[in-house]
Amino acid sequence: MFMNNFEYFAPKTPGEAFELVGRLGKKAKILAGGTDLVILMKDKIVSPECLIDITNIEEFEGIKYEPGKGMVIGATTKNSEVQYSEIVKEKYYALAYAAGEIGSSQVRHMGTIGGNSCNASPSGETPTPLVALGAKVIVSSAAGDREMPLEDFITGVRRIDLKEGEILTKFVLPEPAPKSASRYAYMGARDANEIDCVNMAVNIELEADNQTVKSVRLVMGSVFVRPLVSAAVPALLNGKKFSDELVEKAAEAAQGEAKPITDIRASEEYRHTIVGVLARRLLKEAFAAAQEV
Amino acid sequence: MKQLISLEINGHEYDVPVSPRDVLADVIRKKVGLTGTKKGCGMGDCGACTVLVEDKPVLSCITLAITCNGKKVTTVEGLTLPDGQLNPLQAAFVNHGAIQCGFCTPGMLMSASGLLKRTPKPTLYDIKHEMSGNICRCTGFKRIIGAIELASEAMSKGVK
Ligand SMILES: Cc1cc2nc3c(=O)[nH]c(=O)nc-3n(C[C@H](O)[C@H](O)[C@H](O)COP(=O)(O)OP(=O)(O)OC[C@H]3O[C@@H](n4cnc5c(N)ncnc54)[C@H](O)[C@@H]3O)c2cc1C
Repeated sequence: MFMNNFEYFAPKTPGEAFELVGRLGKKAKILAGGTDLVILMKDKIVSPECLIDITNIEEFEGIKYEPGKGMVIGATTKNSEVQYSEIVKEKYYALAYAAGEIGSSQVRHMGTIGGNSCNASPSGETPTPLVALGAKVIVSSAAGDREMPLEDFITGVRRIDLKEGEILTKFVLPEPAPKSASRYAYMGARDANEIDCVNMAVNIELEADNQTVKSVRLVMGSVFVRPLVSAAVPALLNGKKFSDELVEKAAEAAQGEAKPITDIRASEEYRHTIVGVLARRLLKEAFAAAQEV
Repeated sequence: MKQLISLEINGHEYDVPVSPRDVLADVIRKKVGLTGTKKGCGMGDCGACTVLVEDKPVLSCITLAITCNGKKVTTVEGLTLPDGQLNPLQAAFVNHGAIQCGFCTPGMLMSASGLLKRTPKPTLYDIKHEMSGNICRCTGFKRIIGAIELASEAMSKGVK
């Protein structure tokens, strides 16, 4: 329960932060809300010599939306801010909902959206909708910025494409297509402070006829080492008129792609079944919502 | 190496020497001497240690005190009105029988305070959703929810 001692740094500007992260290298860990890191330190799973707290840097924080262009969410934006933001709810519903389902009110007021992706737990709440919404991440260092899709940034269980000296600074979300809607759902043992056994997000865009699927993105969480973007579901649905039979086929196809494991939270078989349940539900919900846009 | 940090706890300034690893719950209880804040699980799951930092509910058992340097902290002791009376939320907990053993109560009150600051008239769903990180082992949730509803009503009528 007691952490090792460490040195604490609280840079106030991006420049100071990049200098520290670059100079201290492997000796240091970046600290955002601490809701993952402090737990790991208390359990003595990690014992860094230094912590670099990046939550006092204004430039890394906040939600900015520009009509027609999309949204930029700073990495240290609290999950509760994403949950409560009216513009996130309106434009990127799946993300606002997912952020609101993390842990508990306290955990959401502490933890950051950047920390959720950097922690790279396969059951993490927000990477799934972010990937479904086409989010890109910006990772920055003294040398400049790199940009990549979030699904490429998360490379495996607790593994991310972050090089020494880099900090994840932003998520960039494209403006949603005109007739589109996104939805998120998860399954777990209880609602609060538990870890999802499967989560999923769907982002669907319709043609002007309100029936034909122009494009769909279905992303699964907790059934692979990182967010799993379905290739089969768009192949089945894009360009087709939405129907219950097609939804059945799409749900089966998603089940075929998922690679769940058995662990303390659920069996492989149960997860497999739940992928079908959530895919059916979300495709229908997102379709109905897109018709209303 | 200890560092001096300054915390504004319940309206009073405290300068406290802390090690970077000291968690806020220990600093409040052992260094400042306010023992209303409870330590339950120590891992963020039970909510007993909830305090407000800048009016937002956080878990003081997994918050490094040093990250709160210069910030405003409210603990359960800070809820009481200046004349020593219970505030409407505390009064509602007492009057509605929302307390059994009492161990979870400070955390419940602080989470509920955070909720009512943000959402003065919460729905039943809001209350359940935003209070779900506070566990009561006596399982008195129904009365806790009821007390928060009563407090919200009283406060909307201007009861201080
Ligand atoms: C009781 C409890 C319940 C929880 N329930 C859920 C849940 O239901 N769903 C869920 O998804 N998560 C849950 N979590 C986990 C956690 O709250 C989230 O993952 C949160 O978003 C992490 O953010 P943070 O700011 O606290 O990260 P930190 O703990 O500060 O950091 C996590 C990791 O990411 C690194 N990091 C953080 N920010 C950056 C950055 N900008 N650039 C580079 N590296 C960075 C850190 O070095 C560290 O390795 C829970 C945690 C607790 C304690």
